[in-house]
Amino acid sequence: MIGSRAFPYLLILPMLALEGALVLYPIARGALSSLETPAGFGLDTYRRMLADPDFWAMIGRTVLFTLAVDAIILAVGLGLALLMNWSFRGRGLVRSLLTVPWAIPEVPVAITFVLMLDPSFGVFNAFVRLLPGVEESPQWLLDPTLAMLVVIAATVWKGFPFYSLVLLSALQAVPDELYEAATMDGAGRVGQFRYITLPGIRGSLALLAVLGFIYSTQQFTLIWLITGGGPVDATTTLAPAIYMQAFRFYDFGYAGAIAVVGFLISAIATTAFVLVQRGMAES
Amino acid sequence: MTAAAPGRSARRVFPIEAALRGLAIVLVSAIVFFPVYWMVLSSLRSSSESLSFPPPLLPHGLDVSAYVQLFSDKPIARWLALSTLVASLTVLATLVLVIPAAYALSRLAWRGRSAFGLLLLFTQIMPAAVVVAPVLALYRSLGWTDSLWALALLHTAFVVPLCAWVLKASFDAVPRELVEAALIDGCNRWTALWLVLLPLTRPGLVAVSVIAFFASWNEYLFASTLITRNELYTASLGLATLMTQLDTPLFVLMAAGVTFSVLPVAFYMAIQRHLLRGLTAGAVKG
Repeated sequence: MIGSRAFPYLLILPMLALEGALVLYPIARGALSSLETPAGFGLDTYRRMLADPDFWAMIGRTVLFTLAVDAIILAVGLGLALLMNWSFRGRGLVRSLLTVPWAIPEVPVAITFVLMLDPSFGVFNAFVRLLPGVEESPQWLLDPTLAMLVVIAATVWKGFPFYSLVLLSALQAVPDELYEAATMDGAGRVGQFRYITLPGIRGSLALLAVLGFIYSTQQFTLIWLITGGGPVDATTTLAPAIYMQAFRFYDFGYAGAIAVVGFLISAIATTAFVLVQRGMAES
Repeated sequence: MTAAAPGRSARRVFPIEAALRGLAIVLVSAIVFFPVYWMVLSSLRSSSESLSFPPPLLPHGLDVSAYVQLFSDKPIARWLALSTLVASLTVLATLVLVIPAAYALSRLAWRGRSAFGLLLLFTQIMPAAVVVAPVLALYRSLGWTDSLWALALLHTAFVVPLCAWVLKASFDAVPRELVEAALIDGCNRWTALWLVLLPLTRPGLVAVSVIAFFASWNEYLFASTLITRNELYTASLGLATLMTQLDTPLFVLMAAGVTFSVLPVAFYMAIQRHLLRGLTAGAVKG
């Protein structure tokens, strides 16, 4: 018979073994390959990375992409959740419709965006041309700024329904009595939002901000399939950059070094997440 | 759509406001839903129509020739079958690993439990791109490339942390007395788990299975790195290659996208509420 002291460890052992072999070990191995130099181990790869203007440009793009996606996803997600936070006929239908972009796999999402933006027959251009002063269809995927806007839009579109639905659950968990009391005290709509709604969903908002940060930092498939990281690296953020170094230039050491940076970013996000959790548990 | 049933008792909704809100909801829904509508509509067009500009926004009858062409000219049925196989293996492996782990996290007190929880979080937020190159090197040295079960194992490794979390939340919701009563009645720990706890957490098990199945079904990065042989292509790989082949007719490409999306959309819609409860119960308390 298994001793009861060892029992919990036996239960988690298979899962721990798998995580160790296929997640933790590869991370360690990638980090190690970034430290390999012709003469043993050293920081040569990191020196090369930090001196590489392309690396800093990539970090800048990643920050821009991440902040834009995260801010827009939260703003749109909250706006929609507030809109839906009342009883109306057809709410269930709207909720279900909202679930759809979240459920569609990334590859079909990429296909849809690419075809909607096609310069010669994309439907998006039909809309754009209705705008005054637009004669030509923009070359969405050939212009660095537009391409960045496109991958941000696609990432937001696929991701925000989840944020809306979580925030809607959070809004519905705010007790009605609080609103009643606030109304008694003479609070208007703005006051109610500021003193009742916001504090009530602060925890969810903080959590979702961290999740959105991770979601956008990790984004690979949409960017890769819509723009391939182009035009001229304009949409090469962290994940596509690692992929290119490893599988296009076969520079595994450099790929490992960028991966370590990604790993550190994720570690900081995890710490933030845990602090948020602790803060919420205390309040 | 816009008529207001009485809203929150505390706040009276005026007719004008109700109308404005309704209008805003309709507008936002339309914008959000347009790409989906467009994908389905484009897949139901004949080839002559799909090239006209500006493209018609409303369907002119339904033409399913794209789907006929897709299933007759492209190996989509095979791709979907292989995606189903990999996703099913992923679900199986996930359940085997996650049931005991969630039980340990939810029901037992042991040293290192919170550290283990943190480790799970940590692996959960690891960008797949960070490990893809070393994983490929590892798989090459083991001879596991171009193997669908090995791909399923990798998908399992990346979905198990989230699933453990969701299932732990389900286990937490079952009153301890029930399991204790079963133990007093002479069940041992395994039978208590099988006969009492698991039947009571069926919704959680369904949610975990759906999450694992579609995480694998949708996954592209690992699949494209580890699978190189055409005959082993899963649907996400097959679709990505259709995208890059310039001779694929547009409406066939859209039909492929719709075909690949039907299953996850149906399942997610069915379990959406439950899934959100499970996800938010684990993360957001209060």
